[in-house]
Amino acid sequence: MGARMMGVLSIRNVLRGVLTAGILALLPNVTLAQASDEENGEVIYAKRCLQCHGEDGDGLGPAAERLNPPPRDFTLGMFKFKTSAFDDDIANDADLIRMIRDGMPGTAMPGWSDMLSEQDILDVIAYIKIFADLGEEAELQLDYGTQVTSSPESIAAGKLLFEDGERCTECHGLEGKGNALKKLKDDNGDRTWPRNLTKPWTFRASNDPKDIFTRISVGIPTTQMPSFADPKSKKKLTIEERWNVANYVASLAKTEQVVHPDNFVVQASRVEGTLPVTPEDELWGTAPSSTFIMVPQIVGQDRFFTTANDTISARALYDDDKIAILLEWDDRTQSIPGDPKAISIADEEIFQDAVAVQFPQSMPKGMEKPYFLMGDAAKPVNLWRWSSGTTEDPETATIIDAIGINNQVTREGHAGLSASGSYKNGTWRVVMTRTLKTGSPENDLQFEEGRFVPISFFAWDGSNSEVGTAHAMTTWYWLQMTPRASSKPMVYAIGSGLLIFVILLWWGRGASSRRQKSA
Amino acid sequence: MRIPRLLQAILVLAGVYFGFIVVFDYILEAVIPRSLLTMYMFFVTAGVFMVFTYDEDQTRELVAPIKAMVENPQYRMIRNVVFTIIPLLVGFGVYTKMRPSFDAPIELRTIHPAPPSTAQIFGRRVNLLELQNPFRKFEKEDPEQFAELVAEGATVYIENCQYCHGDKLDGKGPYAEGLNPTPLNFQDIGTIAQLQESYLFWRITTGGPGLPSEAAPWISSMPVWQNFLEEDEIWKVILFLYDYTGHEPRSWGHE
Ligand code: HEC
Ligand code: HEC
Repeated sequence: MGARMMGVLSIRNVLRGVLTAGILALLPNVTLAQASDEENGEVIYAKRCLQCHGEDGDGLGPAAERLNPPPRDFTLGMFKFKTSAFDDDIANDADLIRMIRDGMPGTAMPGWSDMLSEQDILDVIAYIKIFADLGEEAELQLDYGTQVTSSPESIAAGKLLFEDGERCTECHGLEGKGNALKKLKDDNGDRTWPRNLTKPWTFRASNDPKDIFTRISVGIPTTQMPSFADPKSKKKLTIEERWNVANYVASLAKTEQVVHPDNFVVQASRVEGTLPVTPEDELWGTAPSSTFIMVPQIVGQDRFFTTANDTISARALYDDDKIAILLEWDDRTQSIPGDPKAISIADEEIFQDAVAVQFPQSMPKGMEKPYFLMGDAAKPVNLWRWSSGTTEDPETATIIDAIGINNQVTREGHAGLSASGSYKNGTWRVVMTRTLKTGSPENDLQFEEGRFVPISFFAWDGSNSEVGTAHAMTTWYWLQMTPRASSKPMVYAIGSGLLIFVILLWWGRGASSRRQKSA
Repeated sequence: MRIPRLLQAILVLAGVYFGFIVVFDYILEAVIPRSLLTMYMFFVTAGVFMVFTYDEDQTRELVAPIKAMVENPQYRMIRNVVFTIIPLLVGFGVYTKMRPSFDAPIELRTIHPAPPSTAQIFGRRVNLLELQNPFRKFEKEDPEQFAELVAEGATVYIENCQYCHGDKLDGKGPYAEGLNPTPLNFQDIGTIAQLQESYLFWRITTGGPGLPSEAAPWISSMPVWQNFLEEDEIWKVILFLYDYTGHEPRSWGHE
């Protein structure tokens, strides 16, 4: 901060001091009200915030290590999502109110509007500020200029600026999926991941162009996300350019592969020609894509809390003999053990990336399925698992027979399973193919047209130390091989209708002749 | 005018049918699966039939309109219409039954199944009917120590439970949306407020796999906490659940 600003600040402070003193002298009970504000804030903090943000506001609550990102350290006095200018470290109260009221998607920080009143939120903010001795208000505000409304031209201009000199792609990747080739850390030394800009539901603030404009202009303090309004930056942008980039970023939102909470089924369409063997095959466009949420494996032994993959999309196609499943998921890092570049961005030790689909070993009778986490002794599961390979070994497809997470056996031979994957711009695409029937129906699920088969998914990000029981997973969903249209229902319908008609006729005839006789 | 008995029977059946739909689908907002509705209606129809054919006179009265329709030439027109509609309905029914379905099977499960009287917990057989929270007494005897126990329970909760049940205990933790069934909301008056502490102890220690089969143990993602936590920690986190939500555990005394 320059000397001029300090001057302004101190004059302001003096003025404010005089003013407050005057008001307090006039209204003695205001002092009480103000004092109890912080007290109320302290009570709320102790009950609702302390567990994460820590007794001393240092963000070191007991769960800190299991949360990614970890809770904010209030002793720094710095906040990430603020609307004051980049060169003013102080956040506006309105920024804090928003984060506390609405929460921060993609983190453990929930919105509190259903539990805390506006006043409660103000009180707890007053209390939080004590940890860093924050008194002043932000001096410099962000200049929004005139908003450039989104249009194809603005988006195209934004795309050029996004990629120009690797301005944003350096961290967010060519398609914005956050597939950085750099290891980023925040001021506390914690690993941070550039946002996957195609998943707007993980934005802490929204992906409204105005919010994106704010982030580009202000940066995200304490992280490596820089300000592009800073005149010292070699990659700085004018206001208009920032609006164009914001419009482009907003346009990156995935539209096809989003989670529909009421969809539980992967529909496998029937193919008349040959099944695709590569992920790039255009035929996949004919199969509907279903996207599901993945959660960390925190149920079975060796819980792992900070998985990197959060959703997975599946499509399926089948023909007379085989079924093929295409799995697509965003992974910021292509994990290749043995590769120096991959090792340099990996967390600690590097393992292969991997994905698996889980099926019951045999069709459940009634509704009883195997235990969702790799089956149980009474009901085993089959896992079809693909691993990405290393610099020395090629990718592999294996079948695992499991009766629980601690009881997995990798099978010799692969019972008609093959799999191949490719990685591009932050997305893995893997095709798995297996015959509908196998030679050992006692060990393998046999597929039938029209039947609903339980299916679930597992993924490992090898650069994030995910191996063995450390992985992301989904709960059970369904796979259905969409049955072909057939004339059978119609034939049976007409047949049974006719039969009933004949019976009725016969009855009617009999009845009227009886009547005639008796008459 | 007296309503003919046949019409009465039909009205009763229609009343029950639409009654089910109104109560479940609209009032309780839990759409009743059509297969279940069909089964209920089968029993109701059988019951109505039995009541309406109690003795011979009644039976005769019930079928009189049908008989008349079939036999009396006066009603020939109606008969022809009925005799066309019935086969069409049957055909339509067969068609809808045989047509391939694209709706995933519906899974019904009991959310709070009756607990067993004893369960194998922490390597011993525990009598759930007599089990008490050993720390509950401090609530009155030593409030200061009680507050400390609650705080320790809060730590257990934030380290282990908030991911799913949410740090507001509202069942909306960061991973709740990825689970099916979704985690329970403890703020709701329909969950822990209706249960005894021993029930919670049973549910927490034995988790999803400890549920009886009517509660679909294979899909519940609730971990088996006796594998991860100490017995004391579980009693403390139970104290915390009630303290944070302001609910009271149900006690034996009330019943
Ligand atoms: C379950 C843990 C948890 C609880 C409980 C919690 N927070 Fe947070 N909070 C977080 C996490 C994690 C972050 C960091 C998110 C990030 O860095 O992107 C955070 C960030 C914040 C921020 C920083 C916003 C910014 O722009 O940098 C504020 C302010 C905040 N929390 C206030 C509160 C208040 C007030 C409460 C209590 C009413 C509370 N938190 C309770 C986990 C929690
Ligand atoms: C040096 C690396 C780096 C560069 C360059 C960079 N970002 Fe970021 N960006 C990050 C990181 C790291 C985060 C996540 C910070 C956090 O919340 O922990 C982020 C987060 C974001 C967010 C998320 C905001 C939210 O509400 O969650 C947006 C939007 C964004 N960046 C856009 C951009 C745009 C547009 C550019 C180019 C003009 C850019 N970034 C350049 C590292 C970078």
